[in-house]
Amino acid sequence: MTPTLTVYLKELRDAVRDRRTMLMVLVASILMGPLTLVLVAQYVAGIEEKSRVLKVRMAGADRAPALVNFLQRNDVEIEKAPDDYEERVKEGRLDAVIVVPVDFEDRFLAGDSAKVEIVYDDSRTEAAPAIRQAERLLRGFNQETGTLRLVARGVSPDLATPLKVEHVNTATPRQKGAFLLFIIPMFAVLSPLLGGMTVAIDSTAGERERGSLEPLLANPVRVEHVVAGKWLASWTFASAVSTLTLSGFVVAATFHSSRQLAALMSFGIPELTLFVAMVLPLAAMTSALQMLICTYGRSYREAQTYVSYLTTAVSFVPLIVLFSGLKDATWQLAVPVLGQQMVFSRIVRADALSAADFAVPMGTSVAVAAAALVILCRLLREERIVFGRS
Amino acid sequence: MIRVESLAKRFGDVRAVADVSFIAENGRITGLLGPNGAGKTTTLRMISTLVEPSAGSARVDDCDVRADPLRARARLGMLTDARGLYTRLTARENIAYYGELRGMERDALAASIARLADWLELGPLLDRRTDGFSQGEKMKVAIARALVHDPPNVVLDEPTNGLDVMTTRNLREVIRKLRDDGKCVLFSSHVMQEVSALCDVIVIMAHGIVAAEGTAAELLALSGAANLEDAFVSLTGEALPA
Repeated sequence: MTPTLTVYLKELRDAVRDRRTMLMVLVASILMGPLTLVLVAQYVAGIEEKSRVLKVRMAGADRAPALVNFLQRNDVEIEKAPDDYEERVKEGRLDAVIVVPVDFEDRFLAGDSAKVEIVYDDSRTEAAPAIRQAERLLRGFNQETGTLRLVARGVSPDLATPLKVEHVNTATPRQKGAFLLFIIPMFAVLSPLLGGMTVAIDSTAGERERGSLEPLLANPVRVEHVVAGKWLASWTFASAVSTLTLSGFVVAATFHSSRQLAALMSFGIPELTLFVAMVLPLAAMTSALQMLICTYGRSYREAQTYVSYLTTAVSFVPLIVLFSGLKDATWQLAVPVLGQQMVFSRIVRADALSAADFAVPMGTSVAVAAAALVILCRLLREERIVFGRS
Repeated sequence: MIRVESLAKRFGDVRAVADVSFIAENGRITGLLGPNGAGKTTTLRMISTLVEPSAGSARVDDCDVRADPLRARARLGMLTDARGLYTRLTARENIAYYGELRGMERDALAASIARLADWLELGPLLDRRTDGFSQGEKMKVAIARALVHDPPNVVLDEPTNGLDVMTTRNLREVIRKLRDDGKCVLFSSHVMQEVSALCDVIVIMAHGIVAAEGTAAELLALSGAANLEDAFVSLTGEALPA
């Protein structure tokens, strides 16, 4: 057995017996990702449900028979709003209420512009569909009544509508789901960090804290072999956790096969394969980087702090992409994590990808991993690291 | 056999070891005696190739520690100052890990562990995880780990630190057995009784240099003192810590 294999097998055995590692595997891969996806899907489905059933709440409906008549003709269910509707809207128990003032009918019949109010709280995003719906219905009433009045006066209604706006939405159902699928690239980038973390810490700072690094390095084994074994173990866990997490999304997506949402959740085996192919080199890099920075830690806790800096830095990348409106550009492919993020979102949007789109991020990952491991080997020859203990 | 010639080590401006030469023969117990900070641990670390000497040389059998560190390490069983175990592994797995790293085959490894367990009275502990072992139990595992490949040279850095009386006595027996097997045993201590009870040759170190070298009787004669403690004071100009 080569020394690298010996170290690798020992680290695997050690990690499998570590409750912290196994908890991380369980939480990260089986629970967190898919659960988030299911919750978001539920949320989206709820919103769709709300806007599909046409229902408005009105206060003072009896004061506007013409409006009520219009709504009933459009199959809208009218519900009488309770007297304390304003408070209920504030508390979030009501989404939107159409309020008809006392003088509505007088002004309406006189041909003046009559006032109605929509009472809502737009700080609550889930109320938005109901608000839009109420607006749309009132606009419809407006248009119908206006048209009738113009016709009654012998004027062509087209004069009042110089512009006819028609909506042509080019987004495919898949792209509509891209927001939802934004979550999958995010987990694809973060799960290698979570998966490799405990092994990376335990095999570097953990060795220092226990006082087992010095005797380990006194063995007739090249430090490169020791580092390779440890890194392989960390990589194995990082890869396993990310693959499990991503597979969890495939399983979660099939749960929604019966709904309309299924079209949005097209994350199947082909997408999974591409994701995993990208994640494995990424995990190689993150594991190497984690081990490198953890080696500076004299204790498990200290190293944990260092690792959290790296995790924070990496988790900012998806947010940058989301909020900065960064356009896809070739140079981004060469930036670690950013490149992966870009390719991941293209995969979920089913955009065309060239071989270079895969090769460049993979190449940079491997290069960064190799550089980190070379530095790590040097570090483990330094006396302050080998003998410096807390 | 371990041969040290004009070994020196500098850490920045600090001269940890200035000029140390001695020979530790096979079949003998050589004790490195000196107060804390005399340079004992640094000397042993240079012998075990973990610290690179600034000047001078150290040879383990025929291997120069700088020219061929891996072969030197292979001919050495080193009980380092740090003796941490993997707490999630059993005692046997801890020992076997080092055996495998030194390239031992499965059968030889199993036989060696059985022999060491017998020697060190480790039997009932072997298949327990080392989490929660007492200091003495941990020490026994660490020694077995250092000796699993049956090295011809054994280096022990302050092996009795933190051990109770019974374990210390056990350890002394182990060290004598190693000598009787014809091995070269080199160990460091700052405890006079320890060294005088065990060592065939004593190397007294102070301020990074060898102050005197010889058997207990030779050191007494050299200093003209009545006991080893007084001899140490007169040879190094300072007292050992209690």
